[in-house]
Amino acid sequence: MRPLLRAGVAVVLMAMVLPMAAPCAQEAARDRITPANVATLRPVLTLRTGSAQPHLAAPVAADGLLFVLTPFPHHLLALDPASPTAPLRWRHVPEADGRAAGQACCGASGGVTAAGNRLFLATLDGRLTALEPATGSVLWDSRAADPGAGETLGAAPLVVGDRLFLGNAGDDFGVRGWIGAWEAPTGRPLWRRYTTGPDSDVGIGPDFRPHHHADQGRDLGQASWPPSAWRQGGGGVTGPILWDPTLGLLFHGTGHAAPWNPARRPGDNKWTAGLFARDPETGMARWFDSISPHDPHALGSATANALVELSWQGRPRRLLIHPDPNGRVYLLDPASGEMLSAEPFAPVNSTTGVDLANGRPQWNGAKLLDANGILREVCPGRPGAVGGEPDFSRDTGLFYIPASLLCMDIEFRDAAYIRGTGYTGANIRLGTAPGAPRGALVAWDVAAARAAWRVEEPFPLGGGALATAGGLVFYGTRDGALKAVDARSGQLLWRFDLGTGAVSRPVGFLGRDGRPYLAILAGDGRGAGREIDPRDASADSGLAHALRGLPPPREAGGVLYVFGLP
Amino acid sequence: MKRASRLLPLLLAGCSGWQSALDPRGPSAQDLHGLFWLFTITCTVIWLAVMLVLLAALLRRPPATKGAAEAAGRRSARVVGGAVAATVLVVAGLTFASYLATRAISSDQPEALVIRLRGYQWWWEVTYPHEQPDQTLLTANEIHIPTGRPVRIELAAADVIHSFWVPNLTGKQDMIPGRSNSLVFTAEKPGTYRAQCAEFCGLQHAHMALHVVAEPPEAFERWRTAQLAEAPAPEDAEEEEGRRVLESKACAACHTVRGTEAAGNLGPDLTHVASRRFIAAGMLPTTRGSLAAWVADPQSIKPGNNMPMVSLTADELQAVSAYLTRLR
Amino acid sequence: MKPWHAALLSLLLLAGCKRETRQARLDPAVAEAMDSVATLPIGINGRPPPVLLAMGEPYRSNAYQLSQGKRLYAWFNCQGCHTDGGGGSAPALMDGWWRYGPDAVSIFLSIRDGRPNGMPAFRERLTTEQIWQLTGYLQSLGATSSTAATPGRNDSMQTRPGENRVPSMSRLPSPHEGGP
Repeated sequence: MRPLLRAGVAVVLMAMVLPMAAPCAQEAARDRITPANVATLRPVLTLRTGSAQPHLAAPVAADGLLFVLTPFPHHLLALDPASPTAPLRWRHVPEADGRAAGQACCGASGGVTAAGNRLFLATLDGRLTALEPATGSVLWDSRAADPGAGETLGAAPLVVGDRLFLGNAGDDFGVRGWIGAWEAPTGRPLWRRYTTGPDSDVGIGPDFRPHHHADQGRDLGQASWPPSAWRQGGGGVTGPILWDPTLGLLFHGTGHAAPWNPARRPGDNKWTAGLFARDPETGMARWFDSISPHDPHALGSATANALVELSWQGRPRRLLIHPDPNGRVYLLDPASGEMLSAEPFAPVNSTTGVDLANGRPQWNGAKLLDANGILREVCPGRPGAVGGEPDFSRDTGLFYIPASLLCMDIEFRDAAYIRGTGYTGANIRLGTAPGAPRGALVAWDVAAARAAWRVEEPFPLGGGALATAGGLVFYGTRDGALKAVDARSGQLLWRFDLGTGAVSRPVGFLGRDGRPYLAILAGDGRGAGREIDPRDASADSGLAHALRGLPPPREAGGVLYVFGLP
Repeated sequence: MKRASRLLPLLLAGCSGWQSALDPRGPSAQDLHGLFWLFTITCTVIWLAVMLVLLAALLRRPPATKGAAEAAGRRSARVVGGAVAATVLVVAGLTFASYLATRAISSDQPEALVIRLRGYQWWWEVTYPHEQPDQTLLTANEIHIPTGRPVRIELAAADVIHSFWVPNLTGKQDMIPGRSNSLVFTAEKPGTYRAQCAEFCGLQHAHMALHVVAEPPEAFERWRTAQLAEAPAPEDAEEEEGRRVLESKACAACHTVRGTEAAGNLGPDLTHVASRRFIAAGMLPTTRGSLAAWVADPQSIKPGNNMPMVSLTADELQAVSAYLTRLR
Repeated sequence: MKPWHAALLSLLLLAGCKRETRQARLDPAVAEAMDSVATLPIGINGRPPPVLLAMGEPYRSNAYQLSQGKRLYAWFNCQGCHTDGGGGSAPALMDGWWRYGPDAVSIFLSIRDGRPNGMPAFRERLTTEQIWQLTGYLQSLGATSSTAATPGRNDSMQTRPGENRVPSMSRLPSPHEGGP
C-alpha cells in the first residue's frame, strides 16, 4: 500500500511541477553559460525563415525541442538542435486570414507557449490552437479574435494548470480590449473581461478593492468616457500576463486608449493604461492601478511585469515590478496595488513625478495638448521607453530593461472611426537630440530604485533581455548584434553579428543531449520585402526617422540562430 | 407716393425678425444696438451739416470788395477751426462710447454655461462639456441655451476661418484654426434666433447657419437630458431596414448615431437629427421629405459641400429617411 | 498711347476672365460608368472606363481633384496604416513600387475591393468619385516624375517632402538638421 501511496504522491507532485518544467530546464541552461565560456559560443544551427516582417515572437523551448513561430502568415517549426542531420521535426502552417496582414503592427505578433506537454499557439489572425509537441498534430482549434474589426492576438498565451489566459490586440484599430480564459485540454471558452464598459463587462464586483480613491466608483469604464466612446476605447491586453501562485492572482497591463488623439476622449478613460489584478477562476478584478489616466500620449501600460522577493526599505517583501512605456519603473505591492516607487529609467519630460499617495502622475503642462495641434519633443515617444521584455536576476538584484530613449514630435488631428481601419488621429516623428544615444540596456537596481549602470546603444532596443544565472545578460540590437554583457558590471563580453536587427528575446535551454543552447530569432522587417520608405519621417509610426543612419540589413528576411558551447 | 409707401415695409423688414441686429433680445445686443443708433444719428447729422455747408459754398457769391473778402476769409478760418474742434470732440466721444459698449460685451462671467463651437466647412459642431465625461453632449447645427443665464461660447475652427454671429443676441467673433476665442452673452427671453457664419469660408459660406434656441432653464435641462440618450430604436420594419442601410453604407464612415454601429466623426452627429429644426446647417426644415432629398443628392442642394452623393436604391432611400425621422 | 490702344488692351485683359467650370458631383450615369472598370481575372490592370478619358483624366492632372484626394486620404484613415506615404503596417505609397500594379485601374480596384493581404475594401465606405480622387492623389504621391498640378500644401507637421517635390528630394532634413 505504501509504495502505491508514495507513487501517487509523486505523480501528484509531478503534475504540479510539470507546468514549470520548461523554465527549470532554462534555469539549468542558464548557469552553464558563464562569463568564462561565453566567448566560445558558436552557431550550431541557422535557419532562414523567409519572412520579411519583424520577428517579434521569441522561440519557445520545451523538452529539448525549440519551437519557432515566424511572423504572419505563420509557420510553426519544431527543431531539435541536438540532432545534427535533421533538426526540423515538423512544421505546422495554420490557415491564415489575410486581413490580419495589415494589422501586424505595434508589437502584436501572436505567440506560442509550451506547457503541460502541450503547445498552445495564438496566431495574429485570431486562432487559438493546441498541438501535440512531438508530432505537431492539432488537438483543438478555436477562433478568439476577429481581424475584420482590426482585432488580433498579440502575444503568447499564459497557461496555468488546465487554464489558458490570453488578451487581444487592436488598440490602434479602435477595438475594445479584453482578457479571456479557455480550458486548456478542450479549448472551451470560460470567461472574457473587457477593459472598457460597464462594471459587468469589466469584471468589477464586490471583491474589487482598488488602492486609490480615483478608481472607486460605479461603471467608471463608461462614466470616464464621452457617451459611447468606450465602445471603441482600446485598452488591449497585448503584453504577457503574469501569474502569482502565492496570491493566486493574474496581473496584466492594459493598452492605450483609442484614438491616440486625446481631444476626442475627455475623461480618465478607464480602465486603459493601467494594471489589473484578476482572479483566474472568474476573471473578476481584485485591484487596479491607473498608470496614465486619460493617456494623453497614447502609450498604454501593456508591458511585461515581474514578481520578485527582495529587501525593500529594510524588510523582505514581495514586489510587483512594472516597467511602463512612460519611462518609469513602478514598484507595487501585489496584494493591494499600493504604489511604492515610480522612478524614471529613461529621459522623461512628459511627467515631472508621480504622487505615490494617490497614484496619479504629475503631468508637465508643456507636454500636454487636449486639442488638435503639434507637441514637440515629448519624451518618451511612442510606443514607449520599454523596447523589449525585461528580465530580473536574483543574484545581482538587477532588473535589465532594454530601453528606447526616443522622443517624439506628435501632431494630433481628427480621427474617424471606420471599422477595420487604423483609428489613430496622430502623426508621429521619433528622434533624439543629435549625438544622444537612442537606446540603452538599463540595469535597474530594484531595491535602490535607480539605475545601477546602463549600456548605451546607437539605436533603440527592440528585443527582450535574457539574464542567466551564470552571470550574463544577452540581448539583441537593431543594428544586428547579439551581445552578452556581464550581469554585474555591464562590460561587453561577447558579440555576434546577426546580419539583421533583432527585435525578439533570446532564449536559453538544454537540448536533448543535455548541453546548453542559446537561440535568437533575428529579423527586424527593414529589408526590401516590407516596403517602408524612410523619406517619410512618420513611416512606421515615426520609427523610420529614428533609425536613419542604420544601413539596410544584410539578410533580407528573418534568421534563426542557435548557439552552443563546444 | 403710393409706390414709396409700398417700399417702406421693405425698408423696415430688416428691423425685426430672427436674424436682425436691430431687434436686440439680450443685453449685449442692446449695447450694440444703442451704439449703432448713436453712430447712425451722429453721422447722419454731421453728413447733413457738411452737405449744407457745401451747398452754401457752391451758392455763395464771391465777395465784392477786398475788405469783404478779408472778412470772409477770417470768418471761414473761424468756421474751419470750429469744425476741426467739433470733429475731434465727436471722434473722441464716439470712441469712448464704442469702448464702453465693447467692454460690456467682452466681460467674462464665471458662472456661464460653456458651449464649444467648432466650425467646419460648412456646418457647426457643438459640444456641451461637463466635468463628468459621460455627460458631455455632442451635437451639430443647433444650440439650446437657458434664458437669464450667461452663456460662454468657446470658438474653434477645423479648417478655415469662420465667424459666429447671432445678431439678435450679440456681435460677431471669429473662429480661427489654432486659436480659441470666446463670446459671452445672455438671452433674456425665450425665442429662436438664427446665427450665420460671418467670415467668408468657401463655396457654401452663405448657407452655413446655426439656430440658437433660448428656452426656460427647466426646458433646457430636459432637452439636454434627452439629447444625451442614445438613438431611439426603430419601431417598424422600414425603420429597421433604414438603420441597417445607415450602418452598412457610407453613412457610418462619416456620421455617428450613438447606439448603432455608426461611429464616424467627419460629419454632423445624427443621433437626434430629427429633433433639430433644420438640416444641413439651416438649409431645409427638418421633414422626412427634406431628409430624403438631402440624402439623395446633397450636391444639388448645397453644391461643393463635403457630403458625397451616395447611390442608394429607392427602397433604401425610403428606409433611411424613415429611420432618420425617427431620430428625435 | 492713343485711346483706342487702351481700349484694345482692356479687351485683351477680359480674355483672362475664364473660370474653370467645376461640377459639384459626377452625374449618376457617369459615376456608374466610372465604377465599371474592365479588369483582368487576377484583379490587376485593366482598361480604364472610356468616360475617364473623355473627361480628360482629371484625377491625375487637376489640382482640385488632387486636393480632394489629399483630404480624403487624411479623413478616411489611410494615415493609420500607410502614414504619410511611408508605410508602416501597410506598404509605402510614395516609393514608386506598386504591389498590385501602378496604373490607375489597379489602384482604384485596390481601394474599392481591397486586397488579400490586409487592405480593407472601401466600396461601401466611399463613393466612386471619391475613390477616383484618391487614386489620382496616390498616383501623384508615388510618381517618378513631377507634374504641374499639385494638391494644397500641408498646414500640419511636414514629415515628408511636399507632393510637388516627391520624386526629386531624397529625404527631408529633421528639425535637428534645420528642417521643418
